[in-house]
Amino acid sequence: MVAAAQQGDALALDQLLDELAPYVRRLCARIAPAAADDATQEALLAIFRGLPSLRAPEAIMTWVRSVTMRTAMRLARQPDQEVAAGPALADRYVPSFEGLADIDDALARLPPSQRAVLVLRTREGLSEQEIAATLGIPAGTVKSRLHRARAAFREMWES
Amino acid sequence: MNDTAPPADIDPVDRLTILAAALPGAAVRQRHIAAPFDAVWRVIADLEHATPRYEPDVAQVRVIERHGQLLRLLVQDTGGREEMVDAKLRPGWCLMQSATVVVAFAARRVGSQTLLAHLEHRRVQTPEPGQSRSYYRRAAEAKIDQELQTIERLATQNDAE
Repeated sequence: MVAAAQQGDALALDQLLDELAPYVRRLCARIAPAAADDATQEALLAIFRGLPSLRAPEAIMTWVRSVTMRTAMRLARQPDQEVAAGPALADRYVPSFEGLADIDDALARLPPSQRAVLVLRTREGLSEQEIAATLGIPAGTVKSRLHRARAAFREMWES
Repeated sequence: MNDTAPPADIDPVDRLTILAAALPGAAVRQRHIAAPFDAVWRVIADLEHATPRYEPDVAQVRVIERHGQLLRLLVQDTGGREEMVDAKLRPGWCLMQSATVVVAFAARRVGSQTLLAHLEHRRVQTPEPGQSRSYYRRAAEAKIDQELQTIERLATQNDAE
């Protein structure tokens, strides 16, 4: 089906969209909960625009995950950029713990960069190497973000 | 062909935009139709009777197979040539594909009116010497605009009956 979609078979594209959309939406809702609809549409647009040039159709899910994560993180950061100055500061962002409802709520209060590594590790079951490849960052950065994310998460639950 | 239920949360017009992103050269236009969604969709879904009224190249459409949302059509153009077309049809979404063309319609309720998006794409692009790609796109968009106007007229008549 992926090969047919890459060749411009519109019915295969339509079916591929049905199969990819729930996964893309789920990731976007976890990484950019306040902009999940926009992130889903932007990620799917980027995926389908890039589909004809995808060189390894068998690795489509890895590529879809990477495109989706980058799109969702960009949209999740947009409100932060008005008050902070980029990912370095966002990593030092201190979440508010008041009125915590559940695990998704706690995740949503982490800065996007920490939220992303925690979602990929705990919800998607990726290794640190796979997370590094997905986000295009060094494995050492994944390790340190995971450490900070877990510490912040633990503090939220224990507070 | 696999007849699976679509995820309900992808708006059809957004779906058409995503589909167009994967079809380089596809022409897409939208029009706010001054008729309710049901009246507009009655026109689009009536493939056999309505298509020859708004599509100038089509003389006749016959539905020869139907399995849920999936249809197979036999389309005869105004020159008498016949072509097999596979289609997917459900409220708000119609996608048709032959060996040479892709045609899609997507509709969204907007109050008492309807936003209708229409895509046309030639799968085999054979530009004539001296004509640029933008020339073909402009011509395709003008044709789609004309078709959307005709569909609006048909839908408005439907709504009045």
